[in-house]
Amino acid sequence: MIPFIQTTLDGLMVGSSYGLLALGFALIFGVMRRLNLSYGPSIMIGAYLGTLLYIKFGPPTYVVAIVAVAGSVMAGIYVERLCFAPLGVGAGVASMVSSFAIWMQLEQASLLMLPRHSYPFPSLTGGELWSLGPFVVRPDYLIMLAAMLAMSAALTLLLYRTRFGLGLRAIVENSLAASLSGIDVERTMLKAFALASAIGGVAGFLVLSANQQVTAMLGMWATLKGLIAMMIGGLGSIPGAIVGGLALGVIEAHSQNLFGPQVRDLAAYAVLFVLLVLRPGGILGTTAVRRGMGQRGGDRWTTT
Amino acid sequence: MDDHLIGIVSNIGVISFVALSAYLLLLTGEISFGQQAFFAIGAYTSGIVTAMWQLPFALGLGAGAATGAAAALLVGLPTLRLHGLQFAIATLAFAEAVRILFELFRYQIVRDGELVGPNGIEGFRNIRYIFENDVSATEFMLIIYGLLGATLFGLFLLERSRLGTAFRMIGEDDLLAATQGVAVVPVKLTAACLAGTIAGLGGGLYAHLTTYVEPAIFDVMLGVHSLAYGLIGGLGTAFGPLLGVVIDIGLLESTRWFAGYRMIVFGGLVAVLLIVRPRGLLDEQLVHRIRRAVRRRPRPSPANDTVLGKELS
Repeated sequence: MIPFIQTTLDGLMVGSSYGLLALGFALIFGVMRRLNLSYGPSIMIGAYLGTLLYIKFGPPTYVVAIVAVAGSVMAGIYVERLCFAPLGVGAGVASMVSSFAIWMQLEQASLLMLPRHSYPFPSLTGGELWSLGPFVVRPDYLIMLAAMLAMSAALTLLLYRTRFGLGLRAIVENSLAASLSGIDVERTMLKAFALASAIGGVAGFLVLSANQQVTAMLGMWATLKGLIAMMIGGLGSIPGAIVGGLALGVIEAHSQNLFGPQVRDLAAYAVLFVLLVLRPGGILGTTAVRRGMGQRGGDRWTTT
Repeated sequence: MDDHLIGIVSNIGVISFVALSAYLLLLTGEISFGQQAFFAIGAYTSGIVTAMWQLPFALGLGAGAATGAAAALLVGLPTLRLHGLQFAIATLAFAEAVRILFELFRYQIVRDGELVGPNGIEGFRNIRYIFENDVSATEFMLIIYGLLGATLFGLFLLERSRLGTAFRMIGEDDLLAATQGVAVVPVKLTAACLAGTIAGLGGGLYAHLTTYVEPAIFDVMLGVHSLAYGLIGGLGTAFGPLLGVVIDIGLLESTRWFAGYRMIVFGGLVAVLLIVRPRGLLDEQLVHRIRRAVRRRPRPSPANDTVLGKELS
């Protein structure tokens, strides 16, 4: 029983990083109804800028964290200006492909900055282990879990208790009506995008400091894990992102424990596939999503 | 033509099959991140048929196309009720699962004292049919382009048929198409099967062109690229995806103009292009205009214009 609980705990810990990534994804998708494939590579730009600084000058860790978050916010704003703002309503596929093209661009820019496959990254805790009774946990991941919970609470407050959040929810409901009610749709979307990139930047920093290294796979990894966690949990919902992230972590930990690393990814994809077929809205989604999301009031993100 | 050029041109031809496969689904309004899976299935199947069972090449290609279609049917049945992002992610999950299954797939036999066949993550080496049967690189290139031409001709006929019209109707608005009497799910399933066939056929050609396939080739990157080709080249005609492939592989990958900055240039170009032309270079309007110019039909007289206001050109 103890090994089982330990594996579940490990899964929850890793899952908190997926949850954090999914949180930023859910915010962008929830507001724009568009898929931003450049989400991971934006995080990568921030992380690589932080790493570059760390290798060259060895500044204190909080400076690296600030640079990483600022870098991914900058990259996120660049993506929004180039791929999302100029393409009007109804060009969802073009936005997605455009964000993919920028993915290639950001990744190459990162590799020009730091060409090797992996680099060291400063750790927050020194990578020690804590034992709680019979169980072992890593404080790095406890920080991540705490950050995920704190950030989702803050995001919920922001969405439901502030004017900015009200505007954002109005846009989600119907962007045309929102703009007629005097909400500056473009500015609000840009802010939401920057906020999502900042959440991604924090997630990236925490994951890298737990791993104590940064690799060239970061962009792809962040996009895929965030996307899968969001889809498992429920499209564009904050509790969904958390549940999806944690569920993905637990599924991966158990299947790796039972069958090895290749089957770990296979199991994650198989669960995702079956879940989408049986319950397209995700664990916490409603079945109302089934008939084309956004056919009521929103813009269809596919087609024309 | 020298060998290098033949290699590039053949490569463009083979990748065009995946791009066409993604394009066909885009016509029905669905985004698939998973066409590379059918490409992989076709490649492995035809490799097994020619290199392991030593059957003729045509049979290998046929088997590749058939398994591609069968796999597309199996995946299409549960997923085509989904929409938009959910469909895209379901196909992504399927394709990645297929890639990992090929990493675990081992099936080898001894042939001429050597082990032949898929060997998990190491891949499938020595699919040497075209060398063993003295098919030259130029001849193989002609085979590729012959099949590509046939596929394009088929798509050309398709787009003029009722079925092709139904594809585009569903792509515009599936609810409206349904009210006009289009059976949405069966038509989409047909599109998915055709797309699977094209990808499977391309996979068979790919395996024989490179003589070697490994699971890592068929990752998400290939899928998203093939989707992007259609959007860069244009969604108005089947030549659009081809143009996309030529621009990417022909112009940028092969000529080493920008060396380390290729992706920075290419990524920026594509993003700017999509701002100017969100439906690609050869979009529906341009294709329509070209068709009208080619037919030399007299422009509608002003009297006709007044019915619905000015005609859009």
